[in-house]
Amino acid sequence: MTASVSIQSVTQSYGAAIALNDVSLDIAAGEFVVLLGPSGCGKTTLLNLIGGFAEPVAGRILIGGRDMAGVGPAQRPTTTVFQDYALFPHMTLAQNVGFGLRMRGMGRDQRRAKAEEILDLVGLPAKSDRRPHELSGGQRQRVALARALAVAPDVLLLDEPLGALDLKLRRAMQDELKAIQRRVGTTFVHVTHDQEEAMAIADRIVVMNAGKIADLGPPREVYLHPKSLFSAAFMGEINQIPVQNGQSPFGPVIGTTGTLLIRPEAIGLSGTLPLGPCRIIDAAFFGTHLRAHVAPLAAPDLCLTVHLPPTSTVTDGEVLTLAATDFVFLEA
Amino acid sequence: MRILSWVYLCLAYAFVLLPVVVLVVFSFQDGRLPVPPFQGFSLQWYEKILSDTGLMTALWHSALVAFVSSAVALVLGFLAAHALARVRLPGSVVLRGVLIAPMTVSYLIIALGLLTLFNQTGIKLSLWTAGIGHVVINLPLCFAMAYAAMGDHQKTAERAARDLGASEAQVLWLISAPMLAPALAAAFFLSVTFSWDEFIIAFLLTRFDVTLPVEIWSMLRSGLSPATNAVGSLVFLVSITAVVMAEVFVFRRAK
Repeated sequence: MTASVSIQSVTQSYGAAIALNDVSLDIAAGEFVVLLGPSGCGKTTLLNLIGGFAEPVAGRILIGGRDMAGVGPAQRPTTTVFQDYALFPHMTLAQNVGFGLRMRGMGRDQRRAKAEEILDLVGLPAKSDRRPHELSGGQRQRVALARALAVAPDVLLLDEPLGALDLKLRRAMQDELKAIQRRVGTTFVHVTHDQEEAMAIADRIVVMNAGKIADLGPPREVYLHPKSLFSAAFMGEINQIPVQNGQSPFGPVIGTTGTLLIRPEAIGLSGTLPLGPCRIIDAAFFGTHLRAHVAPLAAPDLCLTVHLPPTSTVTDGEVLTLAATDFVFLEA
Repeated sequence: MRILSWVYLCLAYAFVLLPVVVLVVFSFQDGRLPVPPFQGFSLQWYEKILSDTGLMTALWHSALVAFVSSAVALVLGFLAAHALARVRLPGSVVLRGVLIAPMTVSYLIIALGLLTLFNQTGIKLSLWTAGIGHVVINLPLCFAMAYAAMGDHQKTAERAARDLGASEAQVLWLISAPMLAPALAAAFFLSVTFSWDEFIIAFLLTRFDVTLPVEIWSMLRSGLSPATNAVGSLVFLVSITAVVMAEVFVFRRAK
């Protein structure tokens, strides 16, 4: 029902292009891991390697402690939810969901009962005789999930499963996905390029860039204390301030030489890191916050993005004394 | 102008369909010759051919050859198309070209080539050899139609099936073939029509058991008779049925 996944120094290349460069990652049994990154970062390649759709050129992949070298997708204890669902259009939902069980030799009646049970689990009761084309995108996604879960895989692989859904539906499905994962206890490895989605569902986020792991950790950790410039910027808007020998453009800060990273919402009227007086360049109301661009008087060329409380009123050109409550320093 | 285009349309249809209409009309001729004037309506020639055991045996042979050879061509064409659409092989462009090539060769040349081959290898001419000839002409058609219908849509479905534990044979039989069913059915019925009224290959590659077109050929040698018109109409009816079936499947797929 659930198993750990161990990726050990895996490298994958297509011709001269290196898709994965010496990647190592350990996923605990029952964990919900999200591989996050821009397109071409290697996240889908890694998922395909776990699923057995390709073999790595170097390194090993272990599932439940068992080396998966030479084991095809059919024999692996994994199933995949594909981005375009890949449902079988000529079969009913019950037949779709029961397909994996049929391949495992389960009888017709048992298959049907099991399929209905799983369709119920994903929120599609009493639809087992419909065909995929009669369903909406969100419902098809549920069927794809049910089909992959029906065979009780140890590891479920999800390849941008919510990518084709509209934003509202995507947010609703995220919560449900998380709830289903809690219920079945299967290890989920989920690929996405949407950092909000990643934060909403992941136990642990693995940020990938250019075939390497740029950062990994629980959502809070990756967001608040990024370990690389790439993951800092990819997880959300962030101010990057160059620091030379402890000197920032607006004054002395801690650290040596590198980059000071401050999230816009970590800047306010009080805090541990003073930014000094700053002039408001422009401001716009966003509902949950007031988004403003400011320039410290000490460094008029530096433009910082700041999220002020939605109740605050500022005028362009006004000078406020700002400070940061939370920040990260990355050495160059 | 509008009238002119209608006239043009009618002339074009008349040019295409008049021979068939004349053939069918004079198969009902109440007289000894299938030529004007039309002397009255009669079903006597149909009665005659339907009770002619030689003709009916030939008709059965034709149907047998058409269905079996089309089925073989379809299976081979589908498997080849699937392989070439899914697997990147060195020289797959050449392989595709070679598979389509028989389409460009005249039936006479194919028949002569096969005749030489059968003579050399000592294979006796029979319905089987004619059937092999028909597989040769229909394989490119089946291959091309199946290949054109394969898309990425099936590809991911096949991947999903494999992921769920299906063997390659199960993927082909349970996923690929049903998803391509409309195209495969259309290819099958077109193949049936081509085989059904094919003459040259059947003529050169059969000996004692012959197909219907060959039987009609020998009827014609003893002169014109409304009976040949009646047989011709029958052949036409079967062909048109198969083409309509193919159309139905192609259109159903387009929807």
